Amino acid sequence: MHQPPPASCSRSSCCVCARVGVRVSALAPAAAPCPAPSRSLGPRPPEPPSRGTSTLPLAPLGPWCSPTGSPAPLSCETGCGEGSWILVCRLLVPTQVSLLSMEEDIDTRKINNSFLRDHSYATEADIISTVEFNHTGELLATGDKGGRVVIFQREQESKNQVHRRGEYNVYSTFQSHEPEFDYLKSLEIEEKINKIRWLPQQNAAYFLLSTNDKTVKLWKVSERDKRPEGYNLKDEEGRLRDPATITTLRVPVLRPMDLMVEATPRRVFANAHTYHINSISVNSDYETYMSADDLRINLWNFEITNQSFNIVDIKPANMEELTEVITAAEFHPHHCNTFVYSSSKGTIRLCDMRASALCDRHTKFFEEPEDPSNRSFFSEIISSISDVKFSHSGRYIMTRDYLTVKVWDLNMENRPIETYQVHDYLRSKLCSLYENDCIFDKFECVWNGSDSVIMTGSYNNFFRMFDRNTKRDVTLEASRENSKPRAILKPRKVCVGGKRRKDEISVDSLDFSKKILHTAWHPSENIIAVAATNNLYIFQDKVN
Amino acid sequence: MEFKLEAHRIVSISLGKIYNSRVQRGGIKLHKNLLVSLVLRSARQVYLSDPCPGLYLAGTPTPQPGEPAAQPPAGWGEPPPPGARAAWSDPEPQPQPHGAAGPAGSHAGCPAPCSTPLKKPRRDGAEEDAEEEMETGNVANLITIFGSSFSGLLRKSPGGGREEEGGEESGPEAAEPGQICCDKPVLRDMNPWSTAIVAF
Repeated sequence: MHQPPPASCSRSSCCVCARVGVRVSALAPAAAPCPAPSRSLGPRPPEPPSRGTSTLPLAPLGPWCSPTGSPAPLSCETGCGEGSWILVCRLLVPTQVSLLSMEEDIDTRKINNSFLRDHSYATEADIISTVEFNHTGELLATGDKGGRVVIFQREQESKNQVHRRGEYNVYSTFQSHEPEFDYLKSLEIEEKINKIRWLPQQNAAYFLLSTNDKTVKLWKVSERDKRPEGYNLKDEEGRLRDPATITTLRVPVLRPMDLMVEATPRRVFANAHTYHINSISVNSDYETYMSADDLRINLWNFEITNQSFNIVDIKPANMEELTEVITAAEFHPHHCNTFVYSSSKGTIRLCDMRASALCDRHTKFFEEPEDPSNRSFFSEIISSISDVKFSHSGRYIMTRDYLTVKVWDLNMENRPIETYQVHDYLRSKLCSLYENDCIFDKFECVWNGSDSVIMTGSYNNFFRMFDRNTKRDVTLEASRENSKPRAILKPRKVCVGGKRRKDEISVDSLDFSKKILHTAWHPSENIIAVAATNNLYIFQDKVN
Repeated sequence: MEFKLEAHRIVSISLGKIYNSRVQRGGIKLHKNLLVSLVLRSARQVYLSDPCPGLYLAGTPTPQPGEPAAQPPAGWGEPPPPGARAAWSDPEPQPQPHGAAGPAGSHAGCPAPCSTPLKKPRRDGAEEDAEEEMETGNVANLITIFGSSFSGLLRKSPGGGREEEGGEESGPEAAEPGQICCDKPVLRDMNPWSTAIVAF
C-alpha cells in the first residue's frame, strides 16, 4: 500500500506540489537467515552461501552477526558484502503532464501508479542528473534535467512495520532552475541540475546548494506543521474584514495543520562563471563553498552573493593554446584550506589556499605516466577524469576516468595506489563509443561510509562495487525486470568473448543508452541510491 | 593503410561533432570540443605519418592485417570497420567541382554564411557523402565558421594562419565562451589530401 504523500507547499515563489513517488510496496521480509557466524572477527574464512541467496561464488562475507549473536557491528564497517544487496524501493517521479492528469482522472491515476507503464510517460526532463544524500542520510536529493529537485526522506522506524525502515518517500519537490537565455551571447542556458550539495544541518531547516551551468542557488527546506488562526483583521481565507464588523479582539493561536514542506531560495549566486559549472563543494568551515567551471574556480561566502573570489584560473592568455580544462573539484573534508581539482588530461592538483590568493600553482600534482601500449586515437578522451572524491578520512582521493577508477594516496603523487577496471571490455570499442558520443559520458564514483568500498556506474544499467580490502568486486544491475521489492540482486557478468555462459551478457548486447552516471552511498549505512535515467533505485544490504 | 582510412573516418566524425556542437542546447561545451579536437589532432598525425597517401580505392587489395609496424606507431589500434573500406571502394559519386576550387579559394576569405551547403550533407545521412562534402570544399568554409584555432595543440605554422584571421581575432576572443575551437591549421593542411581523393 502507498503512503499518502506529505502535503505540499503552495508558496508560489518557490515550488510546485509535491508529487507522489510511485513506490514499490514492501512485501515479504528478507528471506535468508544470517550466515553462520565466523569463528573470529579478523580474517574472514569462506562461508557456505546461505540458503535462498544469490548464486554468487564463495565470497568471504563480513560477519553480519557477531559470534555471540549480539547486533551486527556498524554495517559500514563490515565491507562490501557483495551478493547481499536487496532492492528497497524504486522511485519514479511522474512528469508534470501526467501529474495533471492524475488529478483529473481516476483512470489515468491508475495508469500512473503502474510503473510498468512509466516508460511512455517519461520525458527527457525527468532524467536524473545528480543524486546526493545529506550528512545524516535521512534525506536524499535528486536533480533532473528539467531543473527540478526532488527530496526523499527516509521512513522512520516503527514497531509495527520493521521492514519498512529504509524506504524513502517524497519529502519535497521544487523547481530549482529555469531555462534562461543569455541575450548578449545568444546562448541558451540549460536548466539541468548539474550538482546538489547539502549543507550540514545547523537548525531545524535543511539547506542545500543546487547548480546548473551558470547559477548556484542556496535552498532552504523547512517544515511547517502549525499555522496561526484567529486573526482580527483577516478572515479564515485571508480576505480583509470590514473594520466596522469587528466588535471584539482576540489573540491569534497556533493550531496544528497537515505537515507542509516548503522550499525557498535563500541565496542566488549568479554571473560569476563564463563557462559551464561542473562542480560545487561545501567547505568544512561551513561558511564558504567553491564552484568550478571549465577554466576557473570561485570561492564564495554563503552570505555574500554579489562577489566571489577567483582562486584558480587556468585560462591561457591565448585561447588557442588551451590544452586542458577543469573537470571536477572538491574541498578536503577536514582541512578548510585544501582542495583538489581534476583535469581533462588525467591529472589532479591539490592546492592550499594559505599559499597564495590565486592557487594557480599547485601544492601537489598527481599524475600517472601513460602506458604507451594502450595508446590509441582516444587515449586523451579516456584519460579525462570525470569525477574526483575525497575519502571520508581525507587521506585518499578517488578519480574516475572512462574505463577505470583509481585511488590515490595524498602522500604519493606519481601513481595511484589502486586501480580498478570498471569495464575494460570497452577498450576495443572506443571508436563506436566515440561515434555515438558515449565516450564523453561522465561517470561519478562514491566511497562508502568507512572508505572500504567504492562504487561507480557503467552501461546497461550496471553498476560496480569494489571492496578495497578483499579486492573483490561485483557487478549489479538496476533494472525493472528484477525489481520486486526485497529482491536480492544477482551479480552480473559481462562475457568478453569466447563462449558465453548462461546468465552472462555479451559486450555487443549491452545497451549503451542505459547508463548509470550518478550514484550515492549513505554516509553511515550500506544503503545506496542508483539513478538509472528517470528511475531512482535504492538498495540496501541484507541485514537482519 | 587501414590506419589511414580509420583516421580519415575519425576526422570526418570529429568535424561533424564540432559542427553539431554549435546548434546544441546549452551552448558550446568547451570540454567536449577540446577532446574532439585532440582526437582530430591524433587522427591527423596518423594521416600524415602514413607514407602511402594515394592508394585508397577500388584497385587496392584489402589491406593485410599484419601491417608492418613501420606504419603509424604501434598501438594505433582499431582496424577500420569493413563499412569504411567499402565506402572508399565505391566509385566516387559525381565530381565535386567546388571541392577542387575550394582549397584554392579557401584562403581568400570565404564568405561566412556557408552553413547551408553543410547542412545538406548532414541531413543526407549517408556518411560517405558527408565525408566528402566536409572534407573537400566546405572544409574551407568550416574554417571561417569557427574562426578560432588551437595552434598550441598542433605546433604547425601558426604564422600561416594569422593573416586570414586578422579581424576575426577580436571576434572570437570576445565571443569565446560561445565560440570554440577549430583546428584551422589542421583543416587547411588536409585540403591537399582531399583534393587528391576527389580527383581520383
